Amino acid sequence: MMVHDPTLSSSRRSFFTRLIVGVAGLIGISLAVPLSVYVTSPALKRRERRWLDAGPVSDLPVGEPTQRDLIMTVSDGYMEAAAVKGVWALRRATNEVTVYSPICTHLGCGFRWDGGEKKFKCPCHGSEYDPDGRVVGGPAPRPLDRLPVKVENGRLLVQYKEFNSGTKQQVEI
Amino acid sequence: MLSRLYAWLDSRLKLEPVKETLLDEPIPGGASWIYVFGSATLFLFLLQAITGIFLAVYYAPTPDHAYDSIRYIETQVLFGPFVRGLHHWGASAMVVAIGLHMLQVFLYGAYKPPRELMWMVGVLLLLLTMGFAFTGYLLPWDQNAYWATQVGINMVGSVPVVGTFLVKVMRGGDTLGALTLSRFFAVHVLFLPAAIMALIAMHMFILRRVGPAGPWSGGCERRGQPGGASLRQGRRAASLEERPPIERRVQRSEPFYPRQVFMDAMVMLGVFVVVVALALFVPFPLADKANPSDHNFIPVPEWYFLFYYQFLKYMEGPILGPIATWVIPMLFISLLLTLPFLDRHPERAPASRPAVIGIGVVFLVGVFVLIGLSLRDLRAMKRTDPAVAAGRALFERLQCTSCHRIHGEGGAIGPDLSYVGDHRDRDWLIKHFRDPQSTSPGSIMPKFPLNEQELNDLTAYMLSLKKRV
Repeated sequence: MMVHDPTLSSSRRSFFTRLIVGVAGLIGISLAVPLSVYVTSPALKRRERRWLDAGPVSDLPVGEPTQRDLIMTVSDGYMEAAAVKGVWALRRATNEVTVYSPICTHLGCGFRWDGGEKKFKCPCHGSEYDPDGRVVGGPAPRPLDRLPVKVENGRLLVQYKEFNSGTKQQVEI
Repeated sequence: MLSRLYAWLDSRLKLEPVKETLLDEPIPGGASWIYVFGSATLFLFLLQAITGIFLAVYYAPTPDHAYDSIRYIETQVLFGPFVRGLHHWGASAMVVAIGLHMLQVFLYGAYKPPRELMWMVGVLLLLLTMGFAFTGYLLPWDQNAYWATQVGINMVGSVPVVGTFLVKVMRGGDTLGALTLSRFFAVHVLFLPAAIMALIAMHMFILRRVGPAGPWSGGCERRGQPGGASLRQGRRAASLEERPPIERRVQRSEPFYPRQVFMDAMVMLGVFVVVVALALFVPFPLADKANPSDHNFIPVPEWYFLFYYQFLKYMEGPILGPIATWVIPMLFISLLLTLPFLDRHPERAPASRPAVIGIGVVFLVGVFVLIGLSLRDLRAMKRTDPAVAAGRALFERLQCTSCHRIHGEGGAIGPDLSYVGDHRDRDWLIKHFRDPQSTSPGSIMPKFPLNEQELNDLTAYMLSLKKRV
């Protein structure tokens, strides 16, 4: 049984319909836009990179990679935790230092410096790198990842970053 | 485009009869702005559901993280304060909408036969909404949340015999803590939503089976036909079968669509604009993180519980206390639930039922007087000295908490300052802040470059930290 108010012309009826749809659309969009931004908010945020102190440069032996600890505060949403990352620093000249991420580019294990063979060796799948970070053996798809570095007042400052493992291209996480 | 999509769907799903059923519900006496409150309540419920779901994206229901996760929403998430504001003010708006909806139904006598069940389910919906308000209040885990919930739960303890047991069940043990928060969260986001959706469905089902009541001149349908003239004939007991056939009622009515839907939509838009404005322009800041050892904190309930909060102040003692905390609420709920059976007078027009309307008016006046008294008392309450608040903000900004602990918060390198106001005076503190070495030789506290104003503020804050205020 369709009941239509005989006093309501069809043009008036469609006018009401348009208004109702308009109101619903307005409320819907006013909610959908902020809620979409709200939920994607963490993905839109740029991670803050701080320069972390990795100790005095003068203590680093020239030509011999040395592990240095970076102490940082890792923010995980509303939680904060102190984390220590041991990066590899290679001093080439007085103030020229290269710092490698301590994570193997193959599948993300931590590698070691073998002073006898003058190679970085990964214990997981046998990837090997020379002191310049080039792959000299094993399945690693790309050279070691280098971290941004600068020297200020005789101290080594490093920006810690992580990269995807297993890819030919270096992709920052 | 849309009409073609609809035609395509209709040819498969046969939507036209559904549309007719949904939109052509006859409104006796025609569409009216007085019928909008139910729709407004439903709209606000949906707004609460949507914003609540989105708040849950970031919220963590544990005492360790609840407060920090809300602070994260407030300070780090884009539109975070807006979404939280919508949920907060939406809750208040929902209470207002329910109040107006019940008032309209009460005034129009729309709870009378054959709509007794619709009223009773409505009362249950009111109780569930109060349950949402109570359980939701604890979730931010700030001082107000913690202590207001403590008071609320303690009131249940006054119920004889089972009170203590009920309190333990609500807390999930002996103290208000981790287990309380997780069960309040579960009740707020899982149990209550399931229950309220079932009851809303029942409320709507009953509405569609018995139809809206229409103007009060329609009288009580079970006892006769709608309309004043038929009422006199219907005074003799009549059964449900004697109701007029639907067609006859439809003749005097107007379909739900489009005018009533239009009115409902306009009111929803109005309500939405108000809630959005409140969310944007009236901040709802967090209090300090819940501190179970701070027994000096005086919680203030939400405005919709203020009348009861004020009422409790007048009802103290071993006899009056329990009467106010459980006898009167139980009686009131029972009275509301059984109202259609207590008020058996068939007339619906307010003028024809002075006793019931009179009781309603007395109740409403009482509620508003209590709210007024409560607001007056709250205004007279000692406010925090602005210098103390500024000093506290300075204390945070200078990161004094890295070394000093106040009520369990902060580092343990310097002395605990929880009650520093009890054993240091103003002169000592000012001298100390100017040069820590002058009062505490060997102190590792740095000399902060503070101006006179900041020195005074910080000192005022330190002096406020006492065991007894």
